[in-house]
Amino acid sequence: MRQTYGKLLPGMRISDLSGKLIVIEGTDGVGRSTQINLLRPWLEEQGHAVLDTGMTRSLLAGDGIRRAKEGNNLGRVTQSLFYATDFVDRLENEIVPALRSGFIVLTDRYVYSLMARAFVRGMDSKWIRSIYSVALKPDATFYLRLTIDQLVPRVVFSRGFDYWESGMDLYPGRDMYDSFCNYQTALLREFDRLSEEYKFEVIEASAGAGEVFGRLKAGIFNILEADTRKEFILTRDKKPLSISSSAGKAKIDAAPQDTRATEFELVLRSILAHATHGNGKTAVHHK
Amino acid sequence: MEITSGNGFGPFEAFLPVPSTATRSHEHADEGFPGRLFIVEGIDGSGKSTQLSLLHKWLESKGYGVVFSEWNSSPLVKDTTKLGKKKKMLTAATFSLIHATDFADRTEKSILPLLKAGAVVLCDRYIYTAFARDVARGMDREWVRELYGFAVKPTVAFYFRVPLETAIGRLLDGRNGFKYYEAGMDLELSDDPEESFRLFQGLILKEYEDMIPEFALTVIDATLPIEVQQAQVRQIAKAHLDKATNVRVER
Repeated sequence: MRQTYGKLLPGMRISDLSGKLIVIEGTDGVGRSTQINLLRPWLEEQGHAVLDTGMTRSLLAGDGIRRAKEGNNLGRVTQSLFYATDFVDRLENEIVPALRSGFIVLTDRYVYSLMARAFVRGMDSKWIRSIYSVALKPDATFYLRLTIDQLVPRVVFSRGFDYWESGMDLYPGRDMYDSFCNYQTALLREFDRLSEEYKFEVIEASAGAGEVFGRLKAGIFNILEADTRKEFILTRDKKPLSISSSAGKAKIDAAPQDTRATEFELVLRSILAHATHGNGKTAVHHK
Repeated sequence: MEITSGNGFGPFEAFLPVPSTATRSHEHADEGFPGRLFIVEGIDGSGKSTQLSLLHKWLESKGYGVVFSEWNSSPLVKDTTKLGKKKKMLTAATFSLIHATDFADRTEKSILPLLKAGAVVLCDRYIYTAFARDVARGMDREWVRELYGFAVKPTVAFYFRVPLETAIGRLLDGRNGFKYYEAGMDLELSDDPEESFRLFQGLILKEYEDMIPEFALTVIDATLPIEVQQAQVRQIAKAHLDKATNVRVER
């Protein structure tokens, strides 16, 4: 039975959420989006419907947050609450409906990133935890971890320093490099603490994208393995699966219907078999 | 937690990293800041805005540095709120959060620094509006109170108490129709906006009544003549200003 971290939003039913909520966490530049871009096609090839979502992607608050960040005058409390608005909009309008429809939801960061950022900015822990008590507990959280030494070259030599990723609102150091190191070090400390508290599955991101992808596939495979939907389908071997739920006993002898049902069953079983044997061995995704 | 002035705290350190947010909002502005915070609350049609603007005129005439802050007016956030309302995208939860975001921006940029600078800050609606509306929309009472834990407690929170029918009578005279969220149409209490508004305001009124003892709101009988109410408001405000130092500005 799915749970929240304590409070349930009005009108939110969570008893029938059959999908899986999978969180990819980590600080800036660890390769979260690269991995999600690999995971999505991998899951879809196996026949799973995937929704991917991430911070500031809400219809309601995404643009507002981007505009607010342009001005560099977004206060710390305001920032925390703007992100919370964005999160709850996506929780209610994307994540929960997708889970109800049986999707695998891949989320690029979750409440943990928002908590880490807020804690680094001196926000009260009880306050932040109360706000995010409405969040769903995920099926798994994979924490892509890099040390600060490993992180710096990745960011510097790809996209350069960003005002907010360098925590310039917080550590207006002599230059962005100093700020970046101070801020990201503080963030890593928070992530490591949260990792213990919320039992993240830690993946050393220094291993390289291919290796990390393998670890993620293995982890997600374990979750899907335990999926009750699959058990439901696989334990029905005695009866042929039918496309039409209204197919009565009288029609079972009808040859065309039976063939179609068998075909359907074959396809479904191959999807499930693929998922079972696909662990780490499915298509290698080149760029 | 004691909020003290002149201790070199930045604008946020003064109230954020303390252990409990729940108790924090129960601190009086006068205990730490040289400024004073007067806020007005009440259902639509209670006459609170009229009273606040009269108080504003009077304070200015007395030479105080007065700043007015309206509910839902942050330049950083109001476009998002407007979008959410126009497209009817707001749920009880996001309605609550976006208004808290707006309030946070005004607190961080205006209310708190101005109180530190010794201004008299006047707010038309404050956290109690959120408590009443959000809970009427089904949000958890405790969650909403915790959400606003960063707010500065007002020097005086005036609550303009008025019977529902009196307030509605005043509003219906001057307008034709209610907006979707204003009428609480999202609660699906009634298909008729006027009836929905009535029912919604009834729920809000109930929340306000419960908050009088909880937050020690200063009740003003809003059925009295405007002049009588204003005399009471000024007398109460004056008592708090007498104790204040450093709030007068040269004109």
